[in-house]
Amino acid sequence: MSVKYIPVQWNNNKYIYDVVMLAGVALFLYVFLYAAPGLLSHERPVNPQVHNARAFGACAFVMLTVILCIGPLARLDQRFLPLLYNRRHFGVMTVFVAITHASYILNWYFAFSSSDKFEALLFANTSYAQLGGFPFEVFGIFALTVLVILAATSHDFWMKFLTPPVWKRIHYLIYPAYLSVVAHVSLGILQDQQNHVFTVIFIGGAVAVGVLHLMAALHERRADAAIAARAAAWVDICDVSEMSDGFAKIRLLPSGERVAVYLNDGTLSAISNACAHQNGPLGEGRIIDCLVTCPWHGFQYDVTSGRSPAPFTEKVPTYNLRLDGTRVQVDPAANPPGTYVEPVAVPGHAQQEAPA
Amino acid sequence: MSDKNSPFFVGYLSAPQALRTFLMVICVVFVSGLAGLGLALGVAQDDPGDGAFRFDYGRQTVTGVLEMTPYPVVRVTEGNERIADGQTLMLSGQGKNSIMTRASPLEGQLVKVSGVILDRGDLEMLQLRGGRNGLSAVEGTAPQMQTEQLGRWRLAGEICDGKCLAGAMRPGRGIAHKACANLCLLGDIPPVFVTTQPVEGHEFLLITGPEGTALPPSAYHHVAQFISLEGDVERRGDLLVLKMDPATVEVVR
Ligand code: HEM
Ligand code: FES
Repeated sequence: MSVKYIPVQWNNNKYIYDVVMLAGVALFLYVFLYAAPGLLSHERPVNPQVHNARAFGACAFVMLTVILCIGPLARLDQRFLPLLYNRRHFGVMTVFVAITHASYILNWYFAFSSSDKFEALLFANTSYAQLGGFPFEVFGIFALTVLVILAATSHDFWMKFLTPPVWKRIHYLIYPAYLSVVAHVSLGILQDQQNHVFTVIFIGGAVAVGVLHLMAALHERRADAAIAARAAAWVDICDVSEMSDGFAKIRLLPSGERVAVYLNDGTLSAISNACAHQNGPLGEGRIIDCLVTCPWHGFQYDVTSGRSPAPFTEKVPTYNLRLDGTRVQVDPAANPPGTYVEPVAVPGHAQQEAPA
Repeated sequence: MSDKNSPFFVGYLSAPQALRTFLMVICVVFVSGLAGLGLALGVAQDDPGDGAFRFDYGRQTVTGVLEMTPYPVVRVTEGNERIADGQTLMLSGQGKNSIMTRASPLEGQLVKVSGVILDRGDLEMLQLRGGRNGLSAVEGTAPQMQTEQLGRWRLAGEICDGKCLAGAMRPGRGIAHKACANLCLLGDIPPVFVTTQPVEGHEFLLITGPEGTALPPSAYHHVAQFISLEGDVERRGDLLVLKMDPATVEVVR
């Protein structure tokens, strides 16, 4: 949580995350650069500059592919949520790897002429009107530019500064950037490749990203449709006996917002499902020390007011709710963020609590 | 949705026991997966061909007649133990730099050339040393050189820059290398046509525009593409020169 824009400080899990991530990347590059040349099927080595450029380019592609698979995996199976936790470091590392790729290329293919190498990159090939021989480098330039912007604005300061909706929209650029990398490779090296190992791995990776996103979207759509079917004026959430202490039920409201109704020590409270940090699903969190704890980065909120405990200042909207017999119902009109709502006591709560 | 029985991960607390095994497996799969991909991709590199700088031959200095096709070549009249009389060497400067201003005034004259050889099969190029050390006129009258016309041919293959192809870069051809090749050609490096069907035993031909002009701008769009084209072929020593007809270019693939 935030004091001075550093919401998620360093901790053990982050170190472990980064160590594992760096170990994977280092091993990939080491094996590609130093172990593989000895095992080549031919005697004649590729120039070290091109070999390096390929190692770093392929590494950046693999990293980007893994990063983009984490999101949908976590939507499909909650056990993947921890992989989301420090994904931004993974992203920043990818940018460094991609920059290394581009500089090897720039200092080799575009060097040695009487022109500036950056200018040469732009004018050497201008066959924009054709697919075969298209200047595929421009797709790399676009992707790299986006990656650099995203890395530079990845810090929570920028999220505060730009506001989460704007920030989120900017960060959706990762998808055009990924498509751009796919075009970069498809119109470039894939046109030359005699050995199809790279082609197979490349297509496999890109297809995995696409299919996982589709599956996650369908999963979400099905969940939302089920929720929408139950929507009414006071929105019926569930029977109180279905609730367990410290946990929430999530429902889609007719407005399209999601509400998280929590049972907390025998009383019911409802807050928005969207965390003020990065829209993490609060209803998939749980109550720890009387505070709703977000499953993504652990921001916490008082369930009755939607406010983070002092000294933090985050607020989420709350909802009015009532108990109609044993049915839990929510007023779909949200209260302004941070509005206190008297919790609704569940009569005879001790007997009704669902068995563990 | 969250429930009591599924373990819950909070970033700044240690991971719940039930999740740890799962996360350990993920870590192992991730790290070994990346190592495996590194290996698979690293060994999948295509053969870049047998072109190379022949620094092992040492500096080569020979005498011959300078001809502009318009790309400069030298018809060797006084070779050495590596370069025989009657051979024709394509010439290039350092890097992708043009030697046109140095070579043009010496057209048709007897010259001494000095530099390092690049070779790939029957393709030979000399990268000149700087200034007069690399190219200078020598005393004597240039002998009359024969140029034999071999008629009009239709050929299929690829336009490359002669220098990278000859081994300045490995790989030195193909679509991924196209921008680099264009940059060489803009620097007046002699372009080479790699034909799929050898002409009189030659796989590589120096390629020029029609009537002894430089490669036309339209041809740059087809560099590194698999194309077919027509042109007049002539023999200068052991080098074939293809004077392409830009109107006949067809993209094969
Ligand atoms: C300024 C930006 C970039 C430039 C100029 C550039 C240029 C190139 C060039 C010329 C090649 C062909 C190399 C060869 O001959 O094998 C290449 C290959 C490649 N590039 Fe880029 N690139 C850029 C950015 C990127 C980015 C951002 C990514 C990915 C995140 C990327 C991924 C790749 C991959 C995967 C390959 C194929 C490597 C292989 O053959 O194994 N590139 N790039
Ligand atoms: S803590 Fe980051 S989204 Fe909730």
